[in-house]
Amino acid sequence: MASALPTFTKIGKVIRLNRHGCTNRPFYHIVVQKTKDNQDGPVIEQVGSFDAMPNSKNEKLVALNFERIQYWLAQGAGLSDPVAQLLGLSGFLPNHPRTLIQAWKNRREPPRERKIKAIKGIAPPLDNPKL
Amino acid sequence: MADDVTKKQKKLAGNTLFTHFIMFGSSGSRVLNVINISYLQSRSKRVWVRKPLGSPMAKSKIFRITPKPALPEDEKAEIKRLFDNYKNSMKSIRQYFFEQSLKQAESGEVAQTKHRLEDQEHEQLVEENRLENEKTAMLREEKLKIQAEKTQQNVLASLIKKEGEAKLHEIQIEAFLTKQMCTPFIQAENIEKAIEDALANPVNFNFALDLDGYIYRGKDTSIDTIPEEKRERLSRN
Repeated sequence: MASALPTFTKIGKVIRLNRHGCTNRPFYHIVVQKTKDNQDGPVIEQVGSFDAMPNSKNEKLVALNFERIQYWLAQGAGLSDPVAQLLGLSGFLPNHPRTLIQAWKNRREPPRERKIKAIKGIAPPLDNPKL
Repeated sequence: MADDVTKKQKKLAGNTLFTHFIMFGSSGSRVLNVINISYLQSRSKRVWVRKPLGSPMAKSKIFRITPKPALPEDEKAEIKRLFDNYKNSMKSIRQYFFEQSLKQAESGEVAQTKHRLEDQEHEQLVEENRLENEKTAMLREEKLKIQAEKTQQNVLASLIKKEGEAKLHEIQIEAFLTKQMCTPFIQAENIEKAIEDALANPVNFNFALDLDGYIYRGKDTSIDTIPEEKRERLSRN
């Protein structure tokens, strides 16, 4: 058993999504921040972006700076689930269990009828029954 | 979902716990302690903080029973298996990244230049140290020379002094011995004559002295019986 693994001590920094964009049009920055800071608070470094709205070719564009992500992971930064999922889908990390779980749930029962088309993929489905 | 709504509790009969409380915290500052202030102005919507602890349960929620999502056992097992594998691989990946970063830090250009500069500095310092040592060695040698001379002189002086003292001592001893020899010791030949002389001239040690310097011999001598003119004056022999 390796002794005193320094990567596992928490350094208080995390790689997560910061919501930018406008109302009903989210655009996320993938960002390294201190865990205590608010989502729209000070940012240490931006390390990518994620557009949750599919474009004209039905693509959701994700940008990732793998070198810097590797650096921060080596320093001991945490990962939030959505970012981990994105990295898994990109191939940098192994696939997150959540992707598989969501996939088999979607296959099992089709989502209920909604007035606004549900965004399939990483963004969670709408919960408001009024929509 | 309600945006920008401040709840106002109306006055209940006798209950006026909360007239007005805002449950949405303002972003850009912490609720509990204002440490972290965002210098970029943010006009995003306020973030839900939490319902105050003393506030009562809402009427619409009193008899609510939330449906618990019950997953089948095999699904749970599958989920656990997936997460365990993922966590294992993530741990090893993090460790690998860390080791890579260490290697890179050692072998990278920055590290190499640093090592080179450090070695140069070390050489310079060693050279400086050597020169300094030499200087101090020279000074030390001079000092030691002077000291050696001094000690030599001191030793010589003390030796001479001791010699002189020894001679003096000898002379003194000789004088003392001669003096002793002069005193009339009673040898084997003189013993009979000495005994006869001693018997013939007994020495009387009983006497008294006056502060004026007169001596009164004899044990039973009374001072009143002797007139002033016939007093014996003590003479130094």
